[in-house]
Amino acid sequence: METEYDQVLHSVAQVKIADQINDSGDVNRDEDGVKVSCFTEVFDDVTLQFQIIRLTKQIYVWIGYNSAKFGNLYAAASTRPSNTVSVTSVLGGTSDNTGSGIARRLVMKAGLNIILACNIPKNNPLLEAKAEKMLIRKLIDLGYTMPTPLRAT
Amino acid sequence: MESLDANFPVRHRKVSLETKGNKTEIVICSYEDHILVIATQIGAMGTILHARKEEGMSVEPTFSVSVIFGKRDEPMMIATARRLIDHISSYVPSKTLVLSLGLKDHSSETLKEIVAAVIENRLW
Repeated sequence: METEYDQVLHSVAQVKIADQINDSGDVNRDEDGVKVSCFTEVFDDVTLQFQIIRLTKQIYVWIGYNSAKFGNLYAAASTRPSNTVSVTSVLGGTSDNTGSGIARRLVMKAGLNIILACNIPKNNPLLEAKAEKMLIRKLIDLGYTMPTPLRAT
Repeated sequence: MESLDANFPVRHRKVSLETKGNKTEIVICSYEDHILVIATQIGAMGTILHARKEEGMSVEPTFSVSVIFGKRDEPMMIATARRLIDHISSYVPSKTLVLSLGLKDHSSETLKEIVAAVIENRLW
């Protein structure tokens, strides 16, 4: 029978970094499985929707601003030799780059390659920053972030 | 497995299948103007393709299918995207397909099974 102390220890163990998820001992969790998380945040009169799909070696994120449009697609990853993060626009997003900064910083936090789809309108840095902050908080809550973020140069 | 949150505007569905000894995870998401299909065996999105129906005057529909990220030398992947956009556009002609294939094995049997699983669990 588990004591309260054991239960607390068990939940603390589950808060650990992403690459220890497989050791948690939770038999119900599908280790290799794809995990989809969706959530909505409303503030002022703006609705931001987030969809996070965690694959084993990558995270796909969609950020929706007031609509369910797909938006622009960016791919970001850390590149050798010095682990600097590079980002590229894959679909749409030619000159405005809204979302490319978010993708870069997510890679630095999560340590995994990121594919980000984002329909936030351009010239709205405050909104971008808010969306990024919420997203990073959620990634930390879900345990997808690294303890020592990658350095930016 | 259907999405749980009924109020979230993007619906998604997860399917798991086994082909030739490889476990394939498929996620299908339906956005307002796009359908996203992720099929992965390697734990990453792999090659990303984009497919849409072209506006045209002719009776037969034409499609534009291209690889936007990743391997550009696998014609079977393009054929897979073409097959799926054909199916999608007969139900929702205005939606574009973003297909991601992160596969260890690109044989036509595997791709056919993936297409069958996606169509069986479609969200359009």
